[in-house]
Amino acid sequence: MITFKLNGKEVQGEEGQYILQVAEKYGVEIPTMCHHKALEPAGMCRLCTVEMFDGRRSRFVTACNYPIWEGMQIFTDTEEVHKGRKLIVEMLLARCPEVPMLQDLAKKYGIEKSRFKAEDDDCILCGLCVRMCQRMGNNAIELTGRGIEMVVDTPFHVQTDFCVACGACASVCPTGHITLEKINQNVTSRKNVRKIPSEYDMGLKGRKPIFVPYAQAVPNTPAIDRDTCMHFKTGGCKVCTEFCGVNAIKHDMEDEILELDVGSIILATGFEPFDPSKFDNYGYAKHPNVVTAMEFERILSASGPTMGHLVRSSDHKEPKKIAWFQCVGSRDINRCDNAHCSSVCCMYAIKESIIAKEHSGDDLDCAVFYMDIRTHGKDFERYYERAKTQGVRFVRSRVHTINPVPETDDLEVRYVLDSGELVKETFDMIVLSIGLQTPPELIQLANDLNIDLTTGNFCKTDTFSPVQTSREGIFVCGAFQGPKDIPQSVVDSSAAASAAGEMLSPARNTLTKIKEVVPEVNVIGERPRIGVFVCNCGINIGGVVNVPGVRDYAKTLPYVEYVTDNMYTCSQDTQEVMKDIITKNRLNRIVVAACSPKTHEPLFRETLADTGLNKYLFEMTNIRNQNSWVHKNNPDIATQKAKDLVRMAVTKVALKEPLPEAELSIGQTAMVIGGGITGMSTALSFARQGYETHLIENTDRLGGNALTLYKTWKGENIQEKLKGLIDQVSREENLKIHLNTTLASVEGFVGNFKSTLASQGKEDVIEYGVAVIATGASEFKPVEYMYGKDPRIVTSQELDRKLIGNDPVLNSLNTAVFIQCVGSREPERPYCSRVCCTHSVDSALELKRRNPGMNVYILNRDIRTYGERETLYKEAREAGIIFIRFTRENKPVVAIEDGVVKVKVTDHILGMPLEIETDLVNLASAVIPPRDEKLAQFFKVPLNDDGFFVERHAKLGPSEFATDGVFLAGLAHYPKPIDESIAQGMAAASRAVTLLAQKTIHTNGEIAKVNPALCSSCGVCISICPYKAPSFIPDDARFFPGKAEINPALCKGCGLCVASCRSGAIGLKGFDNDQIFAMIEAI
Amino acid sequence: MSEWEPKIAAFLCNWCSYGAADLAGVSRLQYPPNIRVIRIPCTGRMSPKFILSAFRNGADGVWVSG
Repeated sequence: MITFKLNGKEVQGEEGQYILQVAEKYGVEIPTMCHHKALEPAGMCRLCTVEMFDGRRSRFVTACNYPIWEGMQIFTDTEEVHKGRKLIVEMLLARCPEVPMLQDLAKKYGIEKSRFKAEDDDCILCGLCVRMCQRMGNNAIELTGRGIEMVVDTPFHVQTDFCVACGACASVCPTGHITLEKINQNVTSRKNVRKIPSEYDMGLKGRKPIFVPYAQAVPNTPAIDRDTCMHFKTGGCKVCTEFCGVNAIKHDMEDEILELDVGSIILATGFEPFDPSKFDNYGYAKHPNVVTAMEFERILSASGPTMGHLVRSSDHKEPKKIAWFQCVGSRDINRCDNAHCSSVCCMYAIKESIIAKEHSGDDLDCAVFYMDIRTHGKDFERYYERAKTQGVRFVRSRVHTINPVPETDDLEVRYVLDSGELVKETFDMIVLSIGLQTPPELIQLANDLNIDLTTGNFCKTDTFSPVQTSREGIFVCGAFQGPKDIPQSVVDSSAAASAAGEMLSPARNTLTKIKEVVPEVNVIGERPRIGVFVCNCGINIGGVVNVPGVRDYAKTLPYVEYVTDNMYTCSQDTQEVMKDIITKNRLNRIVVAACSPKTHEPLFRETLADTGLNKYLFEMTNIRNQNSWVHKNNPDIATQKAKDLVRMAVTKVALKEPLPEAELSIGQTAMVIGGGITGMSTALSFARQGYETHLIENTDRLGGNALTLYKTWKGENIQEKLKGLIDQVSREENLKIHLNTTLASVEGFVGNFKSTLASQGKEDVIEYGVAVIATGASEFKPVEYMYGKDPRIVTSQELDRKLIGNDPVLNSLNTAVFIQCVGSREPERPYCSRVCCTHSVDSALELKRRNPGMNVYILNRDIRTYGERETLYKEAREAGIIFIRFTRENKPVVAIEDGVVKVKVTDHILGMPLEIETDLVNLASAVIPPRDEKLAQFFKVPLNDDGFFVERHAKLGPSEFATDGVFLAGLAHYPKPIDESIAQGMAAASRAVTLLAQKTIHTNGEIAKVNPALCSSCGVCISICPYKAPSFIPDDARFFPGKAEINPALCKGCGLCVASCRSGAIGLKGFDNDQIFAMIEAI
Repeated sequence: MSEWEPKIAAFLCNWCSYGAADLAGVSRLQYPPNIRVIRIPCTGRMSPKFILSAFRNGADGVWVSG
């Protein structure tokens, strides 16, 4: 350590350090233009000149490259120093009068105009670029020439390969002399160097070689891209290591190969979006205004390349007309090899068109060019109808070519309507709705793992084991199993977890570690001793807010005993330090001023609990997301705001009380309601994972709808498979089947349900921890098309019954007509029944196989053979099955004339009425739910307008309810085929097992509580609570009969009852009136 | 009067608006620093008394979002 005096104050630095470095450490500002933390100092600009007294005399030295020595005295602020600096600025300004940085400095030093002759240079010869280029390991530029001829140039003014156009020189140039544009002109035009495309922004934006993949990435840690990082090219640079405050960057880290012993593998490897560049007819690679749907997503996103401003790429003009082209890279074996339907593109195109209109206003013209609109998901058909009413145009036409309009950036397309009319139209932008496909590396992986793929290169699975690959122990979920959307992928993933869980259940919990629980310290009645931890979050907060200032301010607040600031309060080592501080200072309330409690509160609460402090004696205030990040240009105001927020948090935390969490045991029994394929799969999954399971079926046999289904679209015999499934269910030891049984009552809550089962006059009470609703749906009995008037007019399930029974009638058919959307996609039932198109195409093919000579017609509104079912549709067309489209306004008519069944329909191509005499009419009838309001009431779960149960979250929680402990699967959720029903059954079991496996859970401590002495028994809380948590204390109770009480297991802590209690009898722990008032008062 | 800046008490629902305010930060959207956020578990918790109290304690505006 070297000790010397800086402006009269004793300071210390290390051997080899320069004056500037030590001054920086002590917060003494010395101006400089040529200094860079990562580069050797050069003393070029002379602006950092300071006065040094060596004990005998004073002289001027440059602070950036003058090494410190024992006993020296430095003065940075003397009049002489200022005079010298002023002269330097004046000279530099004369050399470069237009450089803003120098103009600012001149203003600071009170120079209006340089006294020297103005030149028109913009380089101050600081040499930063040269030193940086050296550091990069490139040495492409040099300070050439001498004296007044000195310039930054390449040796001998020749461009060499030493320059790799990395742009490092431009990044440090303080004056703008070197810019990326200039580099581009001089170097990259010959080298074809381009910006590093941001993967997240689909290449619409650049990114750095060190980058966080996207703002919400987990873990949210930057990564170094070795392919673009200069260090990995030249061995130089490593500038980043000088800036990382915690020395986290290790360039010599190597890839590790880890060997893991696992019992099963789940492939959730996803898909790749189709690359349309090879379609020259769409000119995606040439026209900037032809974008893929993924790129358009980024353009619409607030965090995207245009900050959510909808503009086209070529000229940043707001588009007035946008077209979407469907099935690009899907349903196409002509220009690519993807025969499958990608399942998701119709819906995302509709979504994008609606959001585009939200961005640009209703006058934006959106047109979707499609073959069939496939909105077969839950609530998707409604969304499609909504798009139509909002003016999105849907044009049934496959456009062949996109032609740029000369002299403009617009795009012209020509297309043919159903009527044969040729239309020419110009659009500002065209979005290609690209499909999903399996990337080549995944095909390689499948080969390596020795698992089978389908002809479309998706993972091959069986309808009755939808997540099982061809190799035992390896499971699959998501788009690798087949193109699918988010809800179905989430269902699959839970199902795969369940399938693995079934296999591995004997090993469950053998590798888990149990966390030691620290006994709680009693702080009730103690004076608050508050600790405040203010986080810098690297420079995220510290770069804007004066964190030490906030910390010191916190010290002045009442009851605050300890304050500190941390570089990263959330880091693991800080948690250890915090624990020490809490214990040593006997703190009993903690405030962390950092990022969002939504992400970090659980972590800090755990730290509190580890010291024995009740975890609710904690308050977090958000000075990052809601302060430093959003007030970047106002450091002073942001600092003041941070102080205000800390004051509010401190005031509140002082009033916080330790809160108890009730421990609930989870009954280790499951109940599954519904004995169809879904219910059986769910029950089997529970039983195989070792849980006692009750399967309730209200009829006298298991099987449900599957009892009347013939074959799956993959050709599996459903009756055989069903028999196998029923056998397995019947043999399972842990599984008790209750036939002819209905639920008579449900009491209790998560982990502790109790039901009365009614079975043929007998009543039985069972207790269980979790329940799954798999009550199914049924086939709609048609009310149109002469149904019921003639045995030749049947529904799809009725035809299946004939096929199962090998009805001889089927062998003598000459003609069959299938009519789709019977009762579906109608105003009174505005949803698509999802299964009927595939079912009809499959049955039609079966008839054709039995009587190759017969005529089969499928009258449809759109054919929705999604995913690889599309291959079946193709097969049907090849087999000569005729598809005729109709509209809801112009439906086919079925008539019986002289004993002959006739179907009249208008052919969509000829535009002419057709009359088909037929031997069979198959009505593809809707799937309708039973609208079981009683069951919904029992479990306090909602039904939607169509009568299906409403899941917790349409995308992320498709197999569970918002009510804890109750789960959902199968047709009760939405119409779906067998494979998806089984997957969802397993998924529901999987979600439920996450609860069961915990054995006990803790309720939230921040819940409502009644003060019965104030309660007036008005019942408002009981009627208003969405979770049925409040109830009256029974009249025969010893204390407070008739007053309200709140069940902590059901209360979600929303506070609705608190705000509506007219007697002020209810408080909300953790957000009580006094606490909120205290915060308001502290504003 | 041009120097005057209002102070606004913002009561944000933990589940939606508070999360949105976090996201605004993640997206680095810039907005005036006049609000002071009070996180509440749900706007159902909101009581008219809080609004009155905020005004009484010098807030120039109250924003409830959820």
